Amino acid sequence: MSLSSALEQLAIYRANNVRASQETFEHASVILKSAQQLGDDGWAVLEQLFLASVDIGRLDVADRCLKQLSDKFRDSPRVDVLAGIRMEATESTDVVLQYYGQLLEADPANAAVWKRKISVLRRTGKIDKAVEELSELLDTFYTDVEGWLELADIYTTCNRYSAALQALSHALLLAPQNPFYVLQFAETAYTAGDLPLALKTFLVVVDMCERDLDSPADKPPAGISLRAWMGIKLSSRRLMVNSHPSPSNTVIPKNLHLIEELATERVLAAYSSKGRKPEGRDVVVRWVGVA
Amino acid sequence: MLGVVLLFLATAAVLHAAFSTYEHLSHLKAIGRPEGSLPFDIVVEAVVALALGIIGASLNAPTLKEISWSAEMRKRSIDEMDSRLGFASYVNRGNSLFAKPPTL
Repeated sequence: MSLSSALEQLAIYRANNVRASQETFEHASVILKSAQQLGDDGWAVLEQLFLASVDIGRLDVADRCLKQLSDKFRDSPRVDVLAGIRMEATESTDVVLQYYGQLLEADPANAAVWKRKISVLRRTGKIDKAVEELSELLDTFYTDVEGWLELADIYTTCNRYSAALQALSHALLLAPQNPFYVLQFAETAYTAGDLPLALKTFLVVVDMCERDLDSPADKPPAGISLRAWMGIKLSSRRLMVNSHPSPSNTVIPKNLHLIEELATERVLAAYSSKGRKPEGRDVVVRWVGVA
Repeated sequence: MLGVVLLFLATAAVLHAAFSTYEHLSHLKAIGRPEGSLPFDIVVEAVVALALGIIGASLNAPTLKEISWSAEMRKRSIDEMDSRLGFASYVNRGNSLFAKPPTL
C-alpha cells in the first residue's frame, strides 16, 4: 500500500463521509510510518486518524493525535469538539454534558458541539430531550441535511413514521438529486402502511437511478435500483390484493398489474446472471411467486 | 504513450521552427535586407507542429468521467449517505472488539 494511494483513499473517505474506521486506521498508519511532511492535508488526516482510533478503541493513538492537533491549533472550536469526543470515550456522561454545556455557553452558535450533545443525549436514552434539542438545532440551521436524517432516524426507531416522513421530506427538499434519501422515504412510507405513496416514491427512485442509461431494459438493476424494484414488487403485490386507503391521498396507478409484472421481470433479471447461479436466486424466485 | 511521443515531437518542431526563424531573420539582417518574408518550409513546420501538438494533447488527456448525477450516485452506498458523522456515537462495541488485548 503506497503512500499516495493511502492519501487518495483517505481523501475519498473525507469527501464521501465514509465511516470505515478500521480501514482509515490502517491507511493512516501507513502514512504516519513514512513520517513525511504532508502539509495542509496532514492535519485533516490526523483528525481522521483520531476519530478512527477512538472508534476502534485505540485510545493511545487517539491521545497522540489529539495532543498534536491541540498543540498546533490552540483554542480552536474544532479541536474542542475532538477533545469532547475523546472524553465521551472514557468519562461519564455527566462530565461530558457539562463540558459541552460550557462550550455552548461560550459560543451558542457552535453547531458541531450541539450535535455532539444531542448524540450523547440520544445514546444515553434521553430521547425526548434529544429530539427537543435537535428540533431547536434544525430551527436554527435549517439546511443541515445530516440533522434532518438524524431526526428521521430517531422517529423511526420510536415507530413514529409520519413524523419521520415529515423530517425526510425536509431532507428531500435540501438534497433533491439524492436517490438514497428518496429510497429511505419510500421504505418509511411502506413501513407506515401508506402503500400508494411508497409505490410512487419507489418508482421515483428507479427513475432517478436509471435516468441516464441508454437502454435500462438490457442491464439488470444493481445497487439501490434493485432495492427499489423489490419495493415496487412488494407494494404493487399488496395493492393488487386489497387497495389500501392512503393517508397522504396518493392516487394508485392505473396499470398496477403491468407494473407488478415489470417489477417481477426486473428482480429476476438481477438474479439471472449467465454462468454460475447467483446466491439467493431460489429464495428470490419463490418470493416473486413465479412457479 | 503515443500522445506523449507526439507532444514531444510537436514541442521539438516548434522550438526548431522558432530557432530557424531567428537564424533566417539574422541572415536577412546580415545581408542587409531586413524585411524579407519567412521561407515556406518554416511555416509548414510550425503548422505541422500545431497539428501534432493538438493530436498529442488529445491522446494524452486523462480518461473522461461521467457527469450525470445518476452515474455518480451509482458509485455511492447507503452507508456513506446515511453516515451522519456529526451525530456518530463513538461509544460502541468497537472499543472492546478492536482494542489491544491487555497484557497479562
